[in-house]
Amino acid sequence: MADATGLDGSDGRYRIVIIGGGTAGWMAAAGLVRRLPPADYHITLVESDEIGTVGVGEATLPHIKLFNDMLGLDEAEFMRETRATFKLGVEFRDWDRPGDRYIHPFGAFGEPWGGVEFQHHWLRARDAGHAAAPFEAYSYACAAARANRFELPNEDTKSIRSTYSYAYHFDAGRYVAFLRAWAIARGVTRIEGLVEHIERDGEDGDLAAVTLKSGQRIAGDLFVDCTGFRSLLLAGQFGIGWEDWTPWLPCDRALAVPCAHGGDFAPYTRSTARRAGWQWRIPLQHRIGNGYIFASQFIDADAASDTLLAHLDGAALGEPRLLRFQPGRRRQSWAGNCVAIGLASGFIEPLESTSIYLIQAAVSDLIALMPTPEAAHAGIDPRFAAEFNRLTTMHYERVRDFLILHYVANRREGEPLWDYLRHMPVPDSLAHKLALFRARAKAPDYQFGLFSRESWLAVLIGQGIMPEGHDALADGYDLATVGARLDDFAGRIATSVAAMPSHAEFIAGYCAMPASAAA
Amino acid sequence: MSGAPRRIVIVGRDAALWLAACALQRALAGAGVRVTAIELPTALGPASLYASLPALEALHAKLGLEEATLLRATRGGMLLGYNIVAPRGGLPPFFLAHGGYGAPIQSGAFFPYWAKARRFGMDAALEDFSLTAMAARQGRMLLPDEATEAFGRTDYGYHLPALAYAGLLKGLAQRLGVAVRQAQAIATEHDGDTIRAVITDGEPVTGDLFVDASGAEALLLGGALGVGREDWRAHFPADRRLIALAPPFTSIPPYAEWRAGPAGWLAMHATPGATHLALAYRAADLGDDDALAAAASLSGLTPTAVSVQAVAPGIRDAFWRGNCVAIGAAACAFDPLLDLDLHATQLGIVHLLSLFPAGANFAAERVEYDRILRSHLLRLRDFQIAFHALNRFAGEGFWAEARERALPDTVAHTIATFRARGEIAPMEDETFAPDQWQALFVGLGEMPESWLPAIDRTPPETMKQEFRRILGFIKDKVLEQPTHDAYLASIGRSAAA
Repeated sequence: MADATGLDGSDGRYRIVIIGGGTAGWMAAAGLVRRLPPADYHITLVESDEIGTVGVGEATLPHIKLFNDMLGLDEAEFMRETRATFKLGVEFRDWDRPGDRYIHPFGAFGEPWGGVEFQHHWLRARDAGHAAAPFEAYSYACAAARANRFELPNEDTKSIRSTYSYAYHFDAGRYVAFLRAWAIARGVTRIEGLVEHIERDGEDGDLAAVTLKSGQRIAGDLFVDCTGFRSLLLAGQFGIGWEDWTPWLPCDRALAVPCAHGGDFAPYTRSTARRAGWQWRIPLQHRIGNGYIFASQFIDADAASDTLLAHLDGAALGEPRLLRFQPGRRRQSWAGNCVAIGLASGFIEPLESTSIYLIQAAVSDLIALMPTPEAAHAGIDPRFAAEFNRLTTMHYERVRDFLILHYVANRREGEPLWDYLRHMPVPDSLAHKLALFRARAKAPDYQFGLFSRESWLAVLIGQGIMPEGHDALADGYDLATVGARLDDFAGRIATSVAAMPSHAEFIAGYCAMPASAAA
Repeated sequence: MSGAPRRIVIVGRDAALWLAACALQRALAGAGVRVTAIELPTALGPASLYASLPALEALHAKLGLEEATLLRATRGGMLLGYNIVAPRGGLPPFFLAHGGYGAPIQSGAFFPYWAKARRFGMDAALEDFSLTAMAARQGRMLLPDEATEAFGRTDYGYHLPALAYAGLLKGLAQRLGVAVRQAQAIATEHDGDTIRAVITDGEPVTGDLFVDASGAEALLLGGALGVGREDWRAHFPADRRLIALAPPFTSIPPYAEWRAGPAGWLAMHATPGATHLALAYRAADLGDDDALAAAASLSGLTPTAVSVQAVAPGIRDAFWRGNCVAIGAAACAFDPLLDLDLHATQLGIVHLLSLFPAGANFAAERVEYDRILRSHLLRLRDFQIAFHALNRFAGEGFWAEARERALPDTVAHTIATFRARGEIAPMEDETFAPDQWQALFVGLGEMPESWLPAIDRTPPETMKQEFRRILGFIKDKVLEQPTHDAYLASIGRSAAA
């Protein structure tokens, strides 16, 4: 199928056509052009200024740094351009019970002693009457976040200052613009226009070409559907169905509004539970991003808007913008010669900032499973799709279970949404994890995908689930010694954090946006 | 912690019994747990041998069992991998190493570069890039140092004469404080799924948690509690196994020699005291006398101390019921290919330790033990199934039929992904590393149809330089190594000193 005439600039190369230019489209374009050999692959991205992007995902996970490093981006430049700040984790306020708060940090809690995981020593010391500090006190990232301080982690893995990692808050629109310029400079062809017509080989064969409103026809060997919720190709052409996760994740609306700075310049995202959902707070260099994710069954949009606007730390910069969505995913993400990435593949609310991570995982998997140019004439090898779909299912379901955990383990009694959540049946895969943690403080430990054992611990304990028992191996250690080690660990964190610069100071010295832009 | 088990009773024999006893006693005595071992008559003979996977070294370290002590006491040797040979043709020999293959090129995995180079006519076999395989082929050790650590994985297992190994572990268990009782036979007292006591010589031994290490018959879990078993004979052709001794070689290879026969296969495990032979075959093809002749002919040696056992691979429907936990063959009996039983035993012990009940209700631990151990065991089984399914060994019955058997979805998917791209589909709870799967596939004659496109960015000149660098490093490093014979002799001397 490769166009031997080369009139489209592909020069006989394998033609990858990305439809849609939001975060997913440009992350895919940048990742593919960076990793695939340019002599063999030609990448085109079609986008239209007439279609807005959702631009969710102002907050990220530490994995984004791997993606940026893979591209070879300069961190300070990227942060300046995207008005980025640092993120050491997510603070959850009022999620367990009103008044409670905890942080899910990007980093370790304590350290294992004698091959026994830290939480067992901590639980055992508490059970035995040692006045151990709260779990959070043993996390460097939590302590730094609480103090609104930041510096880059130490590379010496023996240092206590190496026990955390970080992500970013950034302006997603600016990140897209940054990647667009980066990818175009490296050979991605950008075409402006609206897709009007889609051609297939035969009635229901592979996608052959798209024709734009302008009449321009773009033929391709592989199409990447980054058209967002519409899923123009995967759903529109291949009819791949949607698996609805609303019973577990009932929030289906978001109202988003930025505001001027005020309150803490926090190196973390804040998520505050509300009557019918939760509110996010994401500090950027030039503003704070805010939003209220809610279940429309439990509150109307006007009341949600009032709630949101009543809880801003600065003057609202515009009117709240409403987004509608349904949590869930397409039953397959790769069908025929069409691969969906981003919202075209699935949607999970941004409670743990997983949207960009899921894009990144799909881009990595697509790079590894990209068909070879020689095979273009034979169509797509279904073995690549089978593996891609298997991995995508794993990524989405693991994230889903972790999100449901936040909701089901709540004690906000007397609020209809939260009462429903507390009593809803959960997937078996999660019910088993909860039972195991309650019984013996054992948290999931995946080799692949999200989230890590430390993350599960943070949220399990943060949501007020206290295990009934701990690993018996911990009982074999001398209590006084364990107590002294606990105190020492927390003490070293406190001393070290006190010497860190503030988040604002660090950004000013490292990656401050141009002064002209601040005005 | 109230109600957590305090008295553990392990019923079993041989390495499974003593490894479990040592590990539980060592880890839990400090927490106030008492371990009693009820020893059934051994199922081992003089020709029995345990071949271990690399993970065993870590368990030994936890038990305080040093490598030199182990090799001296058992008169064992090192096991760097398996040399797979088809004397009747069909396939060139290949080395299935316990260590890694190649070293990263431009921070990426080695294998796709090798696959690409082969497509373009390079001769060097995958094993030429394995430090472990090359050392083994020269009869040398592979003692890790900083340079080899930076290069890649250099793991190894052991050849352990079984009676001596079980005896060593029993002595260790007694020194650690395990209470030991002998029994010719046992009975149990149980209420539903809860075992109250194991009765030996008319005397009840009570406990809170019972470990069934009695082997494939699973006296407690299967016999007393009636947990069923899924037969794996549909996946594996062998139903008989003959073991025997032959005189030791003058030089002891640090690997196992595996030879495909017309109606089964023979493994030769060399130790300083004797060469241990194991032949797997089908009763339908060979009578036991024919099998003995086959073992002699395939090995070129004269077998003595011959014994024959039935082989019946299969897995229990559950490994933990009530207060009874099965480990080793009581949980899952493997086909003898690549000697996975001891590793499976270790997996059971490790997971029992990490899930040792924190209270009187074991429900959560039980469900998790069943889930995670099963997942591990199925990955091990899949490796064996892939070996059988992709074989190209000559012979009408045994090997031809092994190629025709239905594949579990996981194996079919792993093979399909490898054929399409040369990559190993990542799965949780995997024992074998991706490069070991790749070495198996390539050794059996499978070549991937493509490789990661990303490596095509690397200029061919860079690839060649990297290949030369890796081969040069291996050549130099192997020559620095002591021979296996010299190493074993030095261990002997250090004992005498």
